[in-house]
Amino acid sequence: MKSIKFVLGILAILSLGFAVFFLLRSENALLTHPKGIIARSELELIGTNYLLMLTVVVPTLIALFWIAWKYRAKNTKAKFDPEHSSHGIFGELILWIIPSIVIAVMAFITWHATHELDPYKPLKSDVKTLKIQVVALDWKWLFIYPEEGIASLNFVQFPDSTPIHFTLSADGSPMNSFWLPQLSGQIYCMSGMITPLHIMADGPGEYTGRAAEINGEGFADMTFVAKSTTRSDFDDWVAFAKQADLELTDNNYKELLKSSINDPVTFYSHVEEGLFDKIVMKYMHPTPPAL
Amino acid sequence: MSNFLFGRMTREDLPHVWYTIGGTATIICMCIAIAVFLTRTKRWGWLWREWLTSTDPKKIGVMYTIASAVMFFRGLIDAGMLWLQQSMAADSQGYLTAGHFQEIFTAHGDIMVFFVVMGFFFGLMNWFVPLQIGARDLAYPFLNSLGFWLYVAGAALINMFFIFGGHFADTGWLAPTPLSGLEFNPGVGVDYWIWSLQLSGLGSLLAGINFMVTIIKKRAPGMTLMKMPLFVWTTLCSTVLIITAFPVLTATMFLLWLDRFFDMHIFTSTFGGNQMMYFNLIWMWGHPEVYILVLPGWGMFSEVVAAFSQKKIFGYVSMVWAAIIITFLSFLVWLHHFYTMGPGADVNSFFAITTMLIAIPTGVQVFNWILTMYKGKVIFESPMYWFMGFVTIFTLGGMAGLLLGSPPADFQVHNSLFLVAHFHTMVMGAAIFGSFAGYTYWFPKFTGFTLNERLGKRAFWLWLIGFFVSFTPLYVLGFMGATRRLDHYAASTGWQPLFITSTVGLVIIICGIVTQIIQVIVSVREKNQNRDTTGDPWNGRTLEWSTSSPPPFYNFAVIPTVTTRDAYWEMKKNGLKPETQYADIELPKNTGMGIYISAFALLLGFAMVWYIIWLAVVGLVGIIICIILRSFDDDTEYVVPAAEVARIEASRTRG
Repeated sequence: MKSIKFVLGILAILSLGFAVFFLLRSENALLTHPKGIIARSELELIGTNYLLMLTVVVPTLIALFWIAWKYRAKNTKAKFDPEHSSHGIFGELILWIIPSIVIAVMAFITWHATHELDPYKPLKSDVKTLKIQVVALDWKWLFIYPEEGIASLNFVQFPDSTPIHFTLSADGSPMNSFWLPQLSGQIYCMSGMITPLHIMADGPGEYTGRAAEINGEGFADMTFVAKSTTRSDFDDWVAFAKQADLELTDNNYKELLKSSINDPVTFYSHVEEGLFDKIVMKYMHPTPPAL
Repeated sequence: MSNFLFGRMTREDLPHVWYTIGGTATIICMCIAIAVFLTRTKRWGWLWREWLTSTDPKKIGVMYTIASAVMFFRGLIDAGMLWLQQSMAADSQGYLTAGHFQEIFTAHGDIMVFFVVMGFFFGLMNWFVPLQIGARDLAYPFLNSLGFWLYVAGAALINMFFIFGGHFADTGWLAPTPLSGLEFNPGVGVDYWIWSLQLSGLGSLLAGINFMVTIIKKRAPGMTLMKMPLFVWTTLCSTVLIITAFPVLTATMFLLWLDRFFDMHIFTSTFGGNQMMYFNLIWMWGHPEVYILVLPGWGMFSEVVAAFSQKKIFGYVSMVWAAIIITFLSFLVWLHHFYTMGPGADVNSFFAITTMLIAIPTGVQVFNWILTMYKGKVIFESPMYWFMGFVTIFTLGGMAGLLLGSPPADFQVHNSLFLVAHFHTMVMGAAIFGSFAGYTYWFPKFTGFTLNERLGKRAFWLWLIGFFVSFTPLYVLGFMGATRRLDHYAASTGWQPLFITSTVGLVIIICGIVTQIIQVIVSVREKNQNRDTTGDPWNGRTLEWSTSSPPPFYNFAVIPTVTTRDAYWEMKKNGLKPETQYADIELPKNTGMGIYISAFALLLGFAMVWYIIWLAVVGLVGIIICIILRSFDDDTEYVVPAAEVARIEASRTRG
């Protein structure tokens, strides 16, 4: 009976492991299927950290179960020393030193990776960086292309293998988090603040992004589509967006400031110059926001 | 006039939807049932004299335990509602609206942290801190009663929204600004959050001060700091954290209240307010709070492992320093809760490394527990099962924690269900499993009989399996890009089967809880077979086992003199000498003042939620008058004469 239980336990652990393994391999596991350099580096870091930690955790768990088994009260052959409480100063120091070494290695890696994958840090590339400004609104995402003079709602398109420099802020919405899991980790968007994010997609593809910080009723629906295409497709899209009927005038922007959920993808053929700066700066003002 | 009388409460705020009507009906039915029971058995006076007004830490401890168990059911129902919604809501809205769903997860988090885990720990501390240090009561018995009743007032207020208002905060358990500010949350929900946590937070602070002073001042002669049991040490560390961190919470919530009541702009995004400051302040309390929750759990495991290995704890000095270092470091890591706010690589790296440093003392503790079993004779009673389960899931959760501590990795898993899985693993492992280990271990001390072992082990397996079935999917969901707090999602994400698996896991956990309830019932029925006549059923090592089970109301007839660690173990080794010389014992008198003050505090909190100024004044003045009255009461102690002690002791030893 005991051995049956034991075998069942091992089977349960194995099937749990297999289930996790196959789930992480499926295409639905966004984090394990990165499509851009930043997300890929972040995944590699996750892997490295796990391997390092397992070097301590696996022996610890084996020791836990082995010692518990060996020194069970029923085992009369095992030594019993009720006064044993120390291996001396040196013995106890070793227990501090082992985790310290692992943590030192992890700290070194972390320091390096944190600076390497800093969202403030521009990506190196021969291709010219594309600038996109992002405004988190209640509950939708506005993307402004300052150089192209266009804007889009809940949809962003950019060329692949090109560094993209997002500058993010928010307006009339609480704190938000901009997360595009297959391309990069998240960063907060706050009114009156600018946060940066640099990404680069490997190839063409369509990805879902979402708001990751609770921000009210429309939280779950605050998603957007990010499309990375070839350069020429992107240029075609810009030309197409320039044909759009709507322009992002002051009045149209005021409409956007009203809370709404599940807004359709919209393109704006013209954006007033300096709109993004105006959106950020109005929170710096001592008088009520004019816009 | 109605504005003056009722503040901003209107007819629409009374119950009119299914969950408020249901909640109100439940509350009223419970009150009626209790009232009928008390009247039938004529126990009103008994309840008031023996329990409610008691200043005996053992009785307050029991009341804490019962209150936290009641709140646990509330939190558990919330958890079930959340997972049911998430199991249903692929490409549909499920059965809850977004706002209602958000209120439930907010309430679930706050209730589990403030009212369940903290309440249960205060219960155990009330019992075992005095017993373990050889004291008769706490340093401030009245403060203990007041702290408990403030905690109850907070618990009452957090449930009162069912009856008045129908809305709790829909912001997440820490109510981050600007979402919790006036602009985005003008209703009463956030005010219920502020005032119920203010009351219980004040209660926690008073309890923290009380336990700290008790441990410093009331130890038995000879018990130096380095001879204290480890549960007392971790409690001491936990109280240091409470005293340092809870005032930050009180101040932060007060500032948020200024924002909301006087329309100030401390944390708003407009008019020079700083929304990010709120994150800093709330997490300066919030991270130490995590260690307030887990440190006492670790202390209990230290007691359990040593007792059931029938051996000294390995590396006592290391264990103490590990706890102290964790206490210190826990104040230096708050920023890791918002690497994603964009503080920059240098700042993020600093906090990442302080975060990782905590893993060192934590690892040392785990090694020491394992080495305590080494060369021991380990008896596998159910507390040891909880311990083995704890170490397993705690190391797995700890790995996830270190991963979250690394900023670039955190950018991907922050705010995701991976994070949710991580902190549930840690709190369930250390706090819940620790509580159950401690509860099973100390149960004979509470009641005089041990718990049924067979059902205890069955409950453990249900909890452990339920844990893996519910939380493994959450780790995976995090990697599938699922953020926390989603009330619905697209079916194409492929998340639904995993959410359903999680719900199944919760059902298994509930089976575990039902088993524990049955365990108590069966144990009470079989109490004559399982009676603990010696007071020391586990061959224990610390002073609480030197008393009878349950201990007399004065704990120790003669205060023991301590010469070593594991004091009772040494006494047993050297042969116990029966005491015959008794002295008069001074004990604190019962007082209802804690109840009166807390009742006025509850009125004050309720009035502040609804902006009923006259009622707030009544509450505040009431509190002040009660405190003045109490401070003029010199007659707060009574004496048990030596002859009476001798009589009680003689009847106890006769059995």
